[in-house]
Amino acid sequence: MGELFDFIVRSRNFILFVLLEVICFYFIINTSNYWSATYFNTSNRYAAQMLAWSNAVGEYTQLRQVNADLATENQRLNQELTRLKQAQPAAPAQYKADSLFANRFKYTVAKVVNNTTQFANNYITIDKGTDDGIQPGMGVISPTGIVGKVKICNRHFSVITSILHSEFLVSSKLIKANEIGTARWDGVDPNLVKLRDISRIKPVSKGDSVVTSEFNSTFPPGILVGRVRSVGVEPNQTFHDITLNLSTNFGNLAFVYVVQNLLRPEQEQLEKQLEAEK
Amino acid sequence: MTMTLREIVRTTLLFVFYLALQILLVRNLVLFDYAFCFVYIACILMLPLDTSLTVLLVTAFVTGLIVDTFYNTLGMHAAATVLMAYFRPVIARTQIDQSGQEFRTEVMLQDLETGQFFRYVFILALIHHTALFFIEASTITLLMPTLIRIGASVLFTTISIMLLTFFTKR
Repeated sequence: MGELFDFIVRSRNFILFVLLEVICFYFIINTSNYWSATYFNTSNRYAAQMLAWSNAVGEYTQLRQVNADLATENQRLNQELTRLKQAQPAAPAQYKADSLFANRFKYTVAKVVNNTTQFANNYITIDKGTDDGIQPGMGVISPTGIVGKVKICNRHFSVITSILHSEFLVSSKLIKANEIGTARWDGVDPNLVKLRDISRIKPVSKGDSVVTSEFNSTFPPGILVGRVRSVGVEPNQTFHDITLNLSTNFGNLAFVYVVQNLLRPEQEQLEKQLEAEK
Repeated sequence: MTMTLREIVRTTLLFVFYLALQILLVRNLVLFDYAFCFVYIACILMLPLDTSLTVLLVTAFVTGLIVDTFYNTLGMHAAATVLMAYFRPVIARTQIDQSGQEFRTEVMLQDLETGQFFRYVFILALIHHTALFFIEASTITLLMPTLIRIGASVLFTTISIMLLTFFTKR
């Protein structure tokens, strides 16, 4: 008896070692046992919390990539949305848009590399150029609304005339009042634009959304320009004096979408012919 | 076996540091599809040289289970780590020349010649990784990839631990 006890004491570490290994292999072989399913895996509350923290740290380093991915996804969704909308325009039932017309808008994602808001005529530089299919005259929008129009391109960069430009006009529509006017920046506050040519007879309510109208070949219809901030009436004029809050925040513009209207050359060529005949 | 408070705090901090490093940082790190980094074995390697085998085995088991929890491989890391811990006294005795040193010291680079320390870490990492990868493969059909994985990972882990030891010097 004493010898047995002595043996156990002497080889206690070996016995412990074998015991622990047996437990380990019991766990390994019974992969679906209660213990592993309940406690020892990453769904464990504490383990999951730790991993969440660890991922949170990692996320910061990947924000750049995540942003770019989201922008690409938005581009795809925008394209799809425009196609669906344009396939069923607000029109009599007899009118059917053909697929070429519905598909006329093509989007390209670009990153803003330079942007000004403080001058009277502001321009934005983006990191896409003719190599990516950008051409002067294309419209540019942001995730929140209208941005401007491509002015010049080289192979890898393009300069955009921002809507914050004294000569930039956008044909826009008041949604509730269903009136079409022209949006133009007055050169003062980069968050505000004026909406002109809205007849005084029409009622205009504050907060009404203003979107791009169907009467322009640069932007898809229905892109948000801004919301009515104040409505004034100039005594000797026949038009409202409307101020809009711009929907695009030019202060933190990061990614933009360049919109190409594939049918625009055709439309313009036709309209030019008419002018030539005059 | 008496440790000063300072030693206890230091050992505990190092233990938590290596474990956190494994779980939070190098958990999903794989070089060239073959080299895995299991830097957490340093939790066992850096325990004081006179730590009793019983303590080593239990610590190894707990460490392995914690790591297993995060890898969703209950038992595998624990088995490999317990095996490694069982061999630690033998390897330490044969690889580390303790003559002329204070008996109870942590295995640290500045106490040891680099070559000795490298052999100590390398052999124990080899035992651990061999056990781990064979348990994981649990069949000999994938012999070559498993052997390459073991070799690459042993080098990766050993180098990582050597480098980290430079930074965690007293």
